[in-house]
Amino acid sequence: MPSPVPALQTIGLVAGYERDMPIVRGIDLAVAPGELVAILGPNGAGKSTYVKAIAGTVPIFDGSVVLAGQDMTSTPLHLRSGKGLGFVPQTENIFTSLSIAENLQLAADILPKAVRGLRIGKIYEMFPDLAGRPGLKAGQLSGGQRQMLAVARALIIEPQVLILDEPSAGLSPKIVGSVFAMLKEINATGVTIVLVEQNVKAALTVADRGVILVEGQLRHEGPAKDLASDPLLAELYLGAQPEKKLVR
Amino acid sequence: MNAQVIMDGLIAGSMIGLGAIGITLTYSILRFANFAHGDMISWAAYFALATSTALGTLAPGLAEPLGPFSFGWSLPVGLLAAIICTGLLALLVDWLLFAKLRHRGGAVIILVMAGFGAALTLRSFLEFVFTSKPAYFTNALQIARPLLGGARATPDQLLGLGIAVVLVVVVHLAMTRTSAGRAMRAVSENQALAGLAGVNVAKTIRIAWVFGAGLAAVAGVMAGLLVQIRPHMGHDLLLPLFAAAILGGIGSVPGAMIAGLIIGLAEALCVQFIGAEWRAAVSFVVLVAILLLWPQGLFGKRTT
Repeated sequence: MPSPVPALQTIGLVAGYERDMPIVRGIDLAVAPGELVAILGPNGAGKSTYVKAIAGTVPIFDGSVVLAGQDMTSTPLHLRSGKGLGFVPQTENIFTSLSIAENLQLAADILPKAVRGLRIGKIYEMFPDLAGRPGLKAGQLSGGQRQMLAVARALIIEPQVLILDEPSAGLSPKIVGSVFAMLKEINATGVTIVLVEQNVKAALTVADRGVILVEGQLRHEGPAKDLASDPLLAELYLGAQPEKKLVR
Repeated sequence: MNAQVIMDGLIAGSMIGLGAIGITLTYSILRFANFAHGDMISWAAYFALATSTALGTLAPGLAEPLGPFSFGWSLPVGLLAAIICTGLLALLVDWLLFAKLRHRGGAVIILVMAGFGAALTLRSFLEFVFTSKPAYFTNALQIARPLLGGARATPDQLLGLGIAVVLVVVVHLAMTRTSAGRAMRAVSENQALAGLAGVNVAKTIRIAWVFGAGLAAVAGVMAGLLVQIRPHMGHDLLLPLFAAAILGGIGSVPGAMIAGLIIGLAEALCVQFIGAEWRAAVSFVVLVAILLLWPQGLFGKRTT
């Protein structure tokens, strides 16, 4: 039986802010439909830059990004969500001057008029906390609620792939638990999730697979449950074997 | 203080408010003070003048005064032409100048200086074509009619005031109830996030230019109708416009109009109690006071 087309694939991706000093240096990764992949790695490994390049907010210098078999490398930023790619940045991921409803309506504006209301209604069912006060300015929400709204905004388009850049950053441990539970629920509905995370333990608890980046390259990967107890994980985080190519 | 001072202030303030809405929209979205906005007001007045004069010449009946007003159908048609032409002019200036600088990552000061350059060029061109001699939409004389409290105003002035109020409501609803308005507010807050949410940022910026220029056109035609048309008319309004945009809070449409009315009233009070020669200084004093005491303005977002 042929293997399914990856939901998301990067082929030799080179990206960053300056062409002669790329931060992401040739990453090959294929994410299967419905998979939840955690991108891990020490500070400065290029995790955030990698997912930003996939999302289209960081320039790509070489390689390609393929979404469900469709090359997205040069797709303009504003057309990517319409192609089924949802991205939740680490910070500034909601419009604080807009109300909860306006944040959702804005994301729904790319959909046909007939389905906008239905999708927003579905999101409110999924996130009852947001449904109770649609007119509230998003800037007045707590950290956890903001994260919820950011995820809700990205889900409006019913993305094939949802990418989140450190969704637990700045949240209390209790809120982190509920955010990861929410991601697991979303994943259970069939949405492929790529998660950049510093909280390794929490990420590996919900992920199917872990991928470790070091210095802009993919250095190690494996099933999340195995990776959690893999001594190489700690070594890579501590930088003990930065040059050793463990898995490619 | 008598009712006439208030009426004079409201009439002048409504023109300032309309121009300030254009300033506040472009400022909040493009993040720079566009000093060419005043000259868009002047160009709009001349676009309307050229159109209404041509129409009046071709079909003299169109220049016949409409009811109590001093102008005929040629002026509303001229206003429509001015809105379209000023919108196109704003897009042309953006395409030739500002867009290129934005794509090169030009610093704000470079955009501001480019705006100064554009303003000078636009003004000089107007002066070259139309000379600096004042022009008028109509030569008909209007008698101010008595209103409440002993105030008097001409039908043209009351119409201008009414149009300003209606436009503020329309623009406010457009900004809060339409997808284009939501997109403009989103782009003004975070362009990258707006793009991720599916907003076409370049298209939204073009809409903002056309919106701002359209409002400049209405302000220009009103100013031309109620005062006179000169190549420097928009430039002379620039300080009150910026004072109103900042006092109202950058990005706030109702704020810009309310602040415009406040500036207009302050100017009228100054003329009444201090002297007409100090009128221009009022906007400057208000602008400095706001920047020092209340930088976020009446309805602006408090930055942390």
